[in-house]
Amino acid sequence: MSSNRELAMSSYVGIAVGLMVIVGIEVILTYQHLPPRTLLFCLLCLACLEAFAAVMYLMHVKYEKPILFWTIFPATLLVLGFLCYLLPDAFRMASMRLLR
Amino acid sequence: MNQSELAVVGGHSIEMEASPYGIEKKKLGMWVFIVSDACTFGAFLFAYGYMRIGAPVWGTPFEFSSIMNGVLMTTILLSSSLTMLAAVRSAQAGDKAAVGKWLGVTMLLGAAFAALHLREWFKLIGEGWRLFYNPTGGAAQFGATFFSVTGLHLTHVVSGVIALAFIGRGYSQGRYDESHVETAGLYWHFVDLVWMFVFPLMYLMNAR
Repeated sequence: MSSNRELAMSSYVGIAVGLMVIVGIEVILTYQHLPPRTLLFCLLCLACLEAFAAVMYLMHVKYEKPILFWTIFPATLLVLGFLCYLLPDAFRMASMRLLR
Repeated sequence: MNQSELAVVGGHSIEMEASPYGIEKKKLGMWVFIVSDACTFGAFLFAYGYMRIGAPVWGTPFEFSSIMNGVLMTTILLSSSLTMLAAVRSAQAGDKAAVGKWLGVTMLLGAAFAALHLREWFKLIGEGWRLFYNPTGGAAQFGATFFSVTGLHLTHVVSGVIALAFIGRGYSQGRYDESHVETAGLYWHFVDLVWMFVFPLMYLMNAR
């Protein structure tokens, strides 16, 4: 069970409002006609920020023992990061089409 | 010993070491499920990124109205996370009526999210988008990636609504306790968390 150090309900409402503000920033960025890679980088950074807040506060990881965080998250991020090993092949496919 | 529990096995009381995580088994099980599900969604989103980078022309089907629909869906899902938190708090306080009320509101918000999602799907299908057909002449894989990623998420939302109905009923009948509500809440927040990646990557990156 989570500890009794949890936030008051009003603080959770504040966190949810903060997450909606981030979504608003994402939408505004989308219509700034940024280069796709810049937009993707910005959106991913903001999404990671949202996810971190959701995991720590809404999913109460901040109030659990630190061993839960250190057991689960580095391994998950490592697995998700390893998927990126295949991305250069997608760039190869794109460049092959350009060479034709 | 503070970190130990007493259990009775075969008429003998034995001392069992407590979980190093300090959480119940069902909650730890939910975390393991969440990790595996995060990897599944990660693989789906990666496949989308791979195909998008490799495709010479990609479709941008979402007009401003669709983006606003997505913002509304996000608001509904975030609100449902708050009502789920209220349900967990009420369960910890032992207030059965409040648990039923907040779980009911969460289920309604989940159903509203699913309805808006299906409306967006039918709109795209009406415009000619299919799993392997792009009516604008761009990469045919857009439909495959969009419908599979959002379909997987929608399945999670619908499954969550059904699970909450079972948990709420069981809690009101006394078969389940507050830890069941808390574990169901963990799942619901995860569904919310996944949407925080699906919305920018599938909708905003494909906005006109």
